[in-house]
Amino acid sequence: MNGLGPVASKVRTASGALLGLLLIAYAWTVANAPVDSVQGVIQKILYVHPPLAYGAYLGFVITAICGALYLWKDDERWDRLAIAGAEVGVIFCTLMIVTGPIWAKGTWGKWWSWDPRLTVTLLLWFVYLAYLLLRSFGDGGARTARFAAVYGLVGVALIPLNYFVIEIFGGRGMHPENLERGSLGDGMGLPFLVGNLTLFVAFCWFVLLRWELENLRAASLLRAADPLARAREEIAT
Amino acid sequence: MRVLLAILWKDLVTEWRSRDRVIAMLVFSLLVVIVYHFALPAGTGSEVLVHTPGLLWVVFVFAALIGLNRAFAMELENDALSGLALVPVDRGWVFAGKAVSTALLLSIVQALAAAAFALVFDVDLSSRALALAGVFALGTLGIAPVGTLLAAMAVRTRFREVLLPILLLPALFPVLAGAVEGTAEVLRDGSPAFASVQLLLVVDGIYWIICFIGFDYVLDE
Repeated sequence: MNGLGPVASKVRTASGALLGLLLIAYAWTVANAPVDSVQGVIQKILYVHPPLAYGAYLGFVITAICGALYLWKDDERWDRLAIAGAEVGVIFCTLMIVTGPIWAKGTWGKWWSWDPRLTVTLLLWFVYLAYLLLRSFGDGGARTARFAAVYGLVGVALIPLNYFVIEIFGGRGMHPENLERGSLGDGMGLPFLVGNLTLFVAFCWFVLLRWELENLRAASLLRAADPLARAREEIAT
Repeated sequence: MRVLLAILWKDLVTEWRSRDRVIAMLVFSLLVVIVYHFALPAGTGSEVLVHTPGLLWVVFVFAALIGLNRAFAMELENDALSGLALVPVDRGWVFAGKAVSTALLLSIVQALAAAAFALVFDVDLSSRALALAGVFALGTLGIAPVGTLLAAMAVRTRFREVLLPILLLPALFPVLAGAVEGTAEVLRDGSPAFASVQLLLVVDGIYWIICFIGFDYVLDE
C-alpha cells in the first residue's frame, strides 16, 4: 500500500537517499569551513540559519497554495499536502527562531531585537501555530479543512502587510539586506551552498513523508468505515 | 445589500432587547482600566499620555474578543446559523452584516471606555475627540472583518473561547500597528499622519475583501 502517486513516491525515495549523501558532505564542508576572523566559531550558524528560513517560508507558501487549491478543486489530497507544509514549516521556523538568538547573542550582543525580519517571522510562526491548533481543535472533517485553508490564506496575506507596516514605520534592520555575490568570506560559499541544498532536500523529504502518512491515514479510515471493501480486498489478496 | 441591512437590523434589535453583549464588553473594559491603575506606577499626566495609545488599544482588542465570541455563539442557539447559510444570496453579505454590527457595538464600547480612561487617568482626550474617533473607526473597521471571519470558525470548534484570541491576535498586527501609531500622532500633533491613515485604509480594504470571499467557505451548513 503506497500513500503517494508513482512520481511523488519516487521523488521521496530519491530525496531520502540523496539526503543521506548530502548530510555527510554537509558535515564535512561545515567542519572544514574557515573560522570567521571577527565573529569566531559562532558564525558557522550561517550554514544552518538562513537555509532553515527558506524552508520555513516555503512550507507556509505550500500550505497557502494547497489550501487555495483545496477550496477550488475540493480534492482532499491538496488539504493533506497543506497539513504537511504547515507542520514541516513550523518545525523549520522553530529551529530558525532557536538558532537566531544564539547567533545574535554572539554577534549583536543580545538575544533578541525587534528587527523587522525577526518580527515578521515571529508573527508568522504564531499564525501557523494557530493554524495547527485550529486543525487539532476542529472536528477533523471537511469543515476543519476549509477553515484551515481560509486561515492559511489570511496568514500568507499577512506577510506583505507586515512588511508594509515595517516599511512605513521604518524599523531598523539588523539582518543583512541580501547575500550579494562575494559578500561571503573565502571558503564560505561552498558550505553555505551545500547547507542550503541539504536542508532543501531534507524539507522535501519531510513534506513527502508527512503527506504520505496523511494519505495512508485517510485511506485506512476509509477502509475501517467500509467493511465490504475490506472484505473484498481480503478476498483479492 | 438588503441582506446586509437585514442582518445588521436583526443584530442591533437583538442587542437592544437584551443589551448583554455591550454590557459584558463594557464592564470588562472598565475592569481592564481599573487593572491598569494597579499595574502602572502613579505618574503625572504626561507620562501616562505616552502609553495611552497602546493601553487604549489593548482594552479595545479585549473588548472585541468578548463581543466576537458572543457574535456567533448566539447564532448557534436554535441552529440559526443554518438559516443564515440558506439565505439565497452571496454569503459575503451575511458576513458584512455581522461585521458591521460588531463594528458598531465595538465603537460604542470604545467611546465609553476611552472616556472612562480619560477620567480615571486625568488625560485630556476630549479636545481631540473628532480625530481620535476617526482613528478608532479605521482601526475598528480592520478588527471587525477578520474578527468576524475567525469568530465564525472558532465558534464551531472545541475550546472556542480559547481559540479565537490565538487565531485573531497574530492577524491583527498590521491593524494595531497603524491604529496605535495613529492614536499617538493624534495625541501628539492633533491629527494622524498620512502614513498611518494610509496603512489602516490599505489593511482594512484587504481584510474586507479576503474575509468577504473567505466567509463563503466558512459558513457551510
